[in-house]
Amino acid sequence: MDILTQLIGGFAVALQPINLFWAFIGCALGTAVGVLPGIGPALTIALLLPVTAQVNPASAFIMFAGILYGALYGGSTTSILLNTPGESGSVMTALEGNRMARKGRGAAALATAAIGSFVAGTVGTLALTFLAPAIAELAFVFGPEDYFALMVLSFTSVAVVMGRSLVRGFAALFFGLALGTIGIDTQTGQTRMVFGMLELLDGVSFTVVLVSLFAIGETLYVASRHASAPAAINPLSGGHWMTRQDWARSWKPWLRGSVIGFPIGALPAGGTEIPTFLSYALERRLSKHPEEFGQGAIEGVAGPEAANNAAAAGILVPLLTLGLPSTATAAVLLAAFQNYGLQPGPMLFATNPDLLWGLIASLYTGNLILLILNLPLVGIWVRLLLIPRHYIYGGIVVFALVGVWGLSTSWMDLALMCGLGLIGYVARVYDFPIAPVLIGLILGPQAEIQLRRALAVSQDDWSVLVGTPISASLLAIAALVLIVPPLLAYRRRQAALGKERAAAAG
Amino acid sequence: MPIAEEAPPRERRSKPWWLGLALAVMGALWLNGARGIASTTNYIGLGPAAIVLAVGLGLVVLGVLLILQALRGDFRAVDDEAEAPPSRAAFLLALAGVAIPLLTMRWLGFPLTAMLAFALVTHGFGSRRTALDLAIGFVLGTIAWFGFSRLGISLGGFLPLLG
Amino acid sequence: MLKRLTMAGALVLGLGAVTALADPAKVMIPANPGGGWDGAGRHTMAAFAQSKVFADGASFTNKGGAAGTIGLAEFVRTAKGDDNALLVTGVIMVGGVITNKTPVSLADTTPLLRLTNEYNAIAVPANSPIKTPQDFIAALKADPSALSVGGGSAGGADHVMLALLAKQAGAPVAKINFVSFSGGEILAALGGGKIKAAISGASEFRQFAESGRIRIIAVSGPTRVDGINAPTLKESGIPVEIGNWRGFVGAPGMSDGAKKLWLERFAKLHETPAWKETLKTQGWEDAYLPGEKFNAFLKEEEANWTIALKEVGILK
Repeated sequence: MDILTQLIGGFAVALQPINLFWAFIGCALGTAVGVLPGIGPALTIALLLPVTAQVNPASAFIMFAGILYGALYGGSTTSILLNTPGESGSVMTALEGNRMARKGRGAAALATAAIGSFVAGTVGTLALTFLAPAIAELAFVFGPEDYFALMVLSFTSVAVVMGRSLVRGFAALFFGLALGTIGIDTQTGQTRMVFGMLELLDGVSFTVVLVSLFAIGETLYVASRHASAPAAINPLSGGHWMTRQDWARSWKPWLRGSVIGFPIGALPAGGTEIPTFLSYALERRLSKHPEEFGQGAIEGVAGPEAANNAAAAGILVPLLTLGLPSTATAAVLLAAFQNYGLQPGPMLFATNPDLLWGLIASLYTGNLILLILNLPLVGIWVRLLLIPRHYIYGGIVVFALVGVWGLSTSWMDLALMCGLGLIGYVARVYDFPIAPVLIGLILGPQAEIQLRRALAVSQDDWSVLVGTPISASLLAIAALVLIVPPLLAYRRRQAALGKERAAAAG
Repeated sequence: MPIAEEAPPRERRSKPWWLGLALAVMGALWLNGARGIASTTNYIGLGPAAIVLAVGLGLVVLGVLLILQALRGDFRAVDDEAEAPPSRAAFLLALAGVAIPLLTMRWLGFPLTAMLAFALVTHGFGSRRTALDLAIGFVLGTIAWFGFSRLGISLGGFLPLLG
Repeated sequence: MLKRLTMAGALVLGLGAVTALADPAKVMIPANPGGGWDGAGRHTMAAFAQSKVFADGASFTNKGGAAGTIGLAEFVRTAKGDDNALLVTGVIMVGGVITNKTPVSLADTTPLLRLTNEYNAIAVPANSPIKTPQDFIAALKADPSALSVGGGSAGGADHVMLALLAKQAGAPVAKINFVSFSGGEILAALGGGKIKAAISGASEFRQFAESGRIRIIAVSGPTRVDGINAPTLKESGIPVEIGNWRGFVGAPGMSDGAKKLWLERFAKLHETPAWKETLKTQGWEDAYLPGEKFNAFLKEEEANWTIALKEVGILK
C-alpha cells in the first residue's frame, strides 16, 4: 500500500499546526470570496501569489487549496438566502435553494449544501488519492467532438427540465447563446456583434450577467412587488435544521453529484458548471417528488452542491498528475507552482512527495475545517436575514457594484448591469427561467469552439461528431433526454385512452 | 387555456406579445450582424458567422412562437405572491439606485456612488430615514473601497473629481 | 450611529495617511490576473522591491481583453502626464492594435524598453511521422489543410508563425488549418493525437516532452533552448524567427526627467541578482533593449506585423 504510507506522510505535513493555520486562513478566505459575486478563487489566488515569496510551498498550496474548496462552500450561501449566486458553480443551487429559504427552510438548504459539499469533497479527494493517474488519462481520450457531445447533453437535459414552458426555456437559452457570440472570435480573430464598442471586444463578462440577472433583477422585482407590503411576507427568518426526511432525500443526490462531478472536473475542458447542470437535471428526473422541483426540492440543492465540490477535486487531477491547467483557478495554481520553480506532473510526485502528499492530505483536513466552519455559520447566515429588508437589498446592490465595477472599472459594464438587471426583472415577471441564460453564455462559446475544432481537424467531415464511442453515446443520451419524456407521456395518454375505450366497450 | 378566463381583469388584459417581438428583433439584429462578419476563406470547417446566424434564426423563431403564445393567452405575467399590487414608484426608485452609478461613478468615485445607490434602493423598499441610509451607504462603500483596494482590486479613485 | 460615523471617519483618515506616504508606481496590466503580462508586471515590480532599486512599491490595475488594447486605451485616457504610471506591453499588443484598428496605439505612450522574451516551439505527438522541421514543411506543402496545427488565439504569434512557415513551404497561406486553444487543452489535444502538431511557448511544452508524450521538433529563437533537444528553425534552413517579447511603456506625456529616471532604474535592475533569479524561475530570456533602440524596434515590429497579419488573412 504505497499510496497509504505516502498519504500518512502527507498527513504528517498537513497536521503541523502552522499548516493547519494556513488551511484555516485559506478556508475562511475562500468562504468569504465565494459569498461575494464576481470575486472567485482564481482572482483571489492570483492576488495572493506574492505570498509565495515568503511562505514555504507546502503552506502556500495548503492555503490555496482551502480557497478553492472554500469558494464553493461560500458560493451556495448567497444563492440560497438571497437568490444571488456568488459563483457560476452555484447557479443551479439558487433554483431550489432559494425556494426552500422562502418557505422558511433556509437552514436545511444551507445544511444540505454544506454537508453535501463535505461528502463530495471527501469522495473527490479519495478519488484523487487513489485514481488520479488513471483518471488523468481521460484528458487524452477526450477530443473536441466528445466535448461537443458533452455540452449538447448539458443543453438538452437542462432545457428540458427547466421552467414550465419549453419555449420560454429555449428563449432564455438562446438569449444566453446570443450574448456569448459577442466579442472577438477566438478561432479567426474576427469581431462579432460588438456594435462598434471597444469594450465589447472581449465579450460580455460572465460576472456582469450573473450579478445583473440574479442580484439586480431580484432587487427590482422584490422592490416592485413587496416593498409596500408588510415585511411579514418575508418568511426567510429562522428556519429548521434538516429533518430525518431531508437526510433521506439528500444522501443519494450527494453521492450521485460526486460521481458526476469528479470525472467531468478532471477533464481539461470540463469545469465545475457542467456537472451542476447535469446533476440538477438528473435529480429532477429521478426524484420521487418531481412536483416539488421549482418549489424548493432539497434534492435540487444537494446534488449540484455535491457536484461542484467533487469537480473542484477533479480539477486538481490533471494539474497535479500532468501539469495541465483546466480552469482559470488551475492556471493560477500552476503559476504558483512555477513561482517556486516547480513543474507539476509525474516528476513532481517523485521529487517532492512531501509537498504533493501534504497538499492532498490538506484537502481532507480542509474539508473538515470547512464543515466545522460552515455548519455553525448556517445559524448566523440565516440570522443575517433578520436585518431589515431594505438594508439587505441596499447592501446587495452595493456589493453588486463592487463585483461589476471592480472587474475592470468600465462604464460599459455598469450600463450592461442596468440593462440586464431590467431584463432579469422582466424574466421574473413573465416566468422565464434565468439559469438557461447563464448556461448558454458559459457553454455556448465553448460548444462552438469544440464543434469548430472538431470540424477543422476532420476537414469539414460532419460524421466526426459521432466518430468516437464517447461522442456517439453522449449524443444518443442527449437525443433520448429530448425524445423519451414526451414519448412516455404520449404512451401513458394512449394507455389511458385505451382503458377508457375498454371501459366504454365493456 | 381556461386559466386565462379565471384570471382577474388586470392580468387578462396583459398579453405580453411585445416580449416575443423584442426577442425576434434581437434575432433580426443578430442575423443582420452575421452578414457583416467577414467569412474568412482561410478557414475550413465552420466560419465565425455560422453560429451567429444559427442563434439569430433561433431567436426569431422563438420570438414568433412567444408572440403566438401571448396572443393565444396561455402566457402572461405571474404573480405568485400577488397580495400586493406591483408598485411602480418603488420599482422606479430601485431602478434609479441601479442606474445612478452610470452618472456618478466616474465623477464622484465608488464610496459616494455606493452611498447614493444604497439610499435610493432603501427608499425604494420604503425606508424614510434618509440621513441614516446615506450614512450607512457611505460607510459600506468606503469600507468596500478600502478593503478591495488593499486586496489589489481597483475600484477607481476615492473621489475622482478632486483628482 | 454617530459612533459608527466617527469610527468610519477615523478609518478613512488612518488608511489615507498610510497610502499617502510613499510614491509608488502605478502599473497598468492589460490582461487578467494570472497570465503572462500579469506575471511580467508583478514579478518585475517584485524584483524592483527585492533588489531595493525602487522600493516605493507599486499598485496594479488589471484591465484585460482584446489583446491588451482595452488596457492600452484606458492607460492613454487616464494616465496622461503621470510620471509614475507604467503600462506592461508586448508583441501581442502590437498585433492587437493593428487587428482591432484601435484608435490609440503605442505611439501615444512613452516607450521605455523591452525586457524579456520567450520563444515558440513546434511539437508533435510522440508517434507522429513528422520528425524534423523539414518534415513539417513538407507536410505543409503536401496539403496545408490536412495538417491541423494547434496554437494560442487567432492572430497571435503562434498563428502568424504558422503562416510564415506556410509561406516558406510555398503553400497557400489561405489554406492553413490553425486550431485555436487556450490553456492546457492544447497539450491534452496534442498528447492525445487529436491535432497533428502545435505551436506554443517552448517552456509550456518542455515537461510533456520530458515525459515522452510529445516531441519538440524545433524552436523559433536564434539559438537552441537549454534542456530542449531540438534544432532552431534557422539552423534547419528555415529563415523564420518569432518571439513573444514583453516590456514597459510610460504614460503619454511623461516628462523627460521621469523617462530618464525610469530607464536608469531599469538599467540598474537589469544588473541585479534578484532580476536574474526572476528570469530563471519564470523561464524568460533576457531581451533588454532600452530607450531609442526600443523605439526603432517598435516601428519595425509594427511594419512586420501589418504584413504578417495581412498574409494570414486576419487583416483585410
